[in-house]
Amino acid sequence: MTQHASTSPATAPLAGVAQDHRIAADVEGLLERLWRLLTSMRFSLILILILAGLTVVGTVIGQAQADTLANADAKAQFLATASKQWYGSFVGILDPLQLFGVFRSPWFLGTAALLVASIIACSTQRAGGLWKTATKPNVTVGPSFFEHAPYRETLAFKQAPVEVADQVRGVLRRHHFRAVLVDDGTLHLYADRNRWAPLGSLAGHLSLVVILLGALVGTVFGFRNSGFMIAEGSTEAVPTMPGTTIQLVSFKDAYDPLSGAPTDYASDVVVSRNGQEVARQVVRVNDPLHFDGLTFYQSFFGSAVVIKAADAQGKTLFEDGVPLGYGTQDGHSAGSFTIPGANLTALLVGTTGTSDTLVKPGQVRVELYDATTGSPLTQQSIDLGTATAVGGVTFTFEKETKFTGLSVAKDPGAPLVWFGSFLLVAGFVLFFLFPHRRIWGRIAARPNGGAALSLASIGRNDTAQENEFTALVTDIRQAFHAPART
Amino acid sequence: MEKLSGYAFVAGFLSTGLAVMIYAAYAASGLRAARLQAAGVPMTTTVTRFVAGPRTATIGTYGTIMGMLAAAAITVSLVFRTVATGHGPFANMYEFTVAFAWGTLVAYYWFERRYHQRILALVALPVALALEWYAWSIPATVEPLVPALQNNLLLTVHVAVAIVAYGSFTVACAAAALYLVQPEGGRWGLPRPEILDEIGYKAIVVGFPFLTLTIVLGALWADVAWGSYWSWDPKETASLATWLIYAVYLHARVVRGWRGKRAAWLPIVGFGATLLTFFGVNLIFGGLHSYAGLN
Repeated sequence: MTQHASTSPATAPLAGVAQDHRIAADVEGLLERLWRLLTSMRFSLILILILAGLTVVGTVIGQAQADTLANADAKAQFLATASKQWYGSFVGILDPLQLFGVFRSPWFLGTAALLVASIIACSTQRAGGLWKTATKPNVTVGPSFFEHAPYRETLAFKQAPVEVADQVRGVLRRHHFRAVLVDDGTLHLYADRNRWAPLGSLAGHLSLVVILLGALVGTVFGFRNSGFMIAEGSTEAVPTMPGTTIQLVSFKDAYDPLSGAPTDYASDVVVSRNGQEVARQVVRVNDPLHFDGLTFYQSFFGSAVVIKAADAQGKTLFEDGVPLGYGTQDGHSAGSFTIPGANLTALLVGTTGTSDTLVKPGQVRVELYDATTGSPLTQQSIDLGTATAVGGVTFTFEKETKFTGLSVAKDPGAPLVWFGSFLLVAGFVLFFLFPHRRIWGRIAARPNGGAALSLASIGRNDTAQENEFTALVTDIRQAFHAPART
Repeated sequence: MEKLSGYAFVAGFLSTGLAVMIYAAYAASGLRAARLQAAGVPMTTTVTRFVAGPRTATIGTYGTIMGMLAAAAITVSLVFRTVATGHGPFANMYEFTVAFAWGTLVAYYWFERRYHQRILALVALPVALALEWYAWSIPATVEPLVPALQNNLLLTVHVAVAIVAYGSFTVACAAAALYLVQPEGGRWGLPRPEILDEIGYKAIVVGFPFLTLTIVLGALWADVAWGSYWSWDPKETASLATWLIYAVYLHARVVRGWRGKRAAWLPIVGFGATLLTFFGVNLIFGGLHSYAGLN
């Protein structure tokens, strides 16, 4: 509360309270405006339109991966290529606007977040009304409704109102409508069909929120290693699972003899826990291995080198397959490993073929680096089968083999995404395939005997609905003329 | 069997071409009748305000027959192709394109039977013809499926569902185009804007859930094959953009100021996005989805 020297002590507290009320009223007004905005169809229309536009931009402009943009060198390389191949100097505008990473940009994520808020707001606002229409519909309507409804018809009958009501109920039942009658002096009729269909629309919209929630859960709590390599015959530790290892027994790739196109990639793997085999499968592109919440997918492959490193005394320091899974700037395949006990990292570079002068076919190049500082020490190309000393370590290139590249992933959000997807499709199918139909009726006694039946229905300007209404009216007429004509 | 498929396709291609010519004659006949009516000569006006001359309906019937023959021939072509390859006819650009043409023809004839607005063929059938012409110009050799596509169930269902969606969107685009080309009071004896609006809406009411299912099945397949249900791959984002555009359309129809002409642009933009999803990604953008076999 503020105290002004000019105001008398008697009124100062009231001024403070009034100010609080004003702030509260302002906040309330703001919230109300926000709510109106979020529940506005026009606003959500614009949001979806913006998202569509951004998505087109993200499709047409080649996007960069998250880790490319995070790494300064990789990003510079990406921008240089983008500039040279497509965008020239426009790269200077596109990059700051984050158009090379649109789907992670604040424009996209912010709009999506607003849209989610809008969906929740709209759903909350309409849910009550939809439920009421299905469970406690408005049966009694005034006579003017029957004069202005888009579909309307009035029929006159000789029978009394109650009998007319019964017959009409029978016809409605045959058309799969449920009918409700209320008598308050006049007979009011209400009939509907597929009354739960509008809830399908509600479910369909909320399912989008469920899907995005699942995606969020997956991003936050999930795990993925898309470059997990194992050389043939080698064993690697399974990421995130201590004590568990995976061995590649063999990798086979097959090609079509005519076109050379690949026909099969198959990795025969064995998963072991504390020395015991716990899973074995041939992993293929459309046939991943599921094990204990983790999934292993066939992703890529390449050549590997089985190499032995021994010290000056001949003791073996390292003997294993090394996947040549990385590409060097000059187009070679390379792979690295650390030599335990010697503070050395060895980079192995494979040959590119007969035209390669640095690494000839049947050779592999060994580059030694200091494991701590990373500074290069020495390098040499060595021949298959020949033990060669390089920088104090004796290397033997034992054989050439293959490696498999697996993608290892765990996504706890995936079940939410699938549930949401099912709800989405089911909701829309329900809504569109079983359209909600409502018919109101009024049966009044005519002054000279008999009854007058007024029927009315609302809905979109729709030939299907029009035909349905006309057919119903025809059937009602016929119900009163069967079996004999008067 | 592969050869028979090829022959059936060529038969379908030729029939579509003939059908396009007959429907053009139909449109010309209707236009002439509209002109005559405007000049005072009494003409038949159908309940949708389409003006027909004495011979218009007959020409229209021939168009329908020829077009349905084309659809039958393409169906036969796809069936033989499936038998020859052992999988759904959906594994390379040739097969996709023939399937898309089939979807367009079938969707058009489904709507022709329900609404009898043959004038839509003026836009829809040339699309089918253009697709067939493109399919004819690219290699059609049967090759074994690459590992990523070796999932017969998902390959067939995912692409078949997409084709139904694309065919429906073609019809919606045709209806929207004919809607937009007319001023408020109608023109050239074309069907009333309201009926075109309804056809466009109904087409999207079919196409949109099918597109949703396409994307969901695609995500499912991506999860099984590549380990991730969504990778922001160009094909995925293009299909998402298409989905969003049709979502805008469905909402625009209930927003004041957006109904009518403004909303009618969306099926056309959406069809553009559909073509982008179909062609752009296989031919321009590469990515995980480039199975076109056209390098």
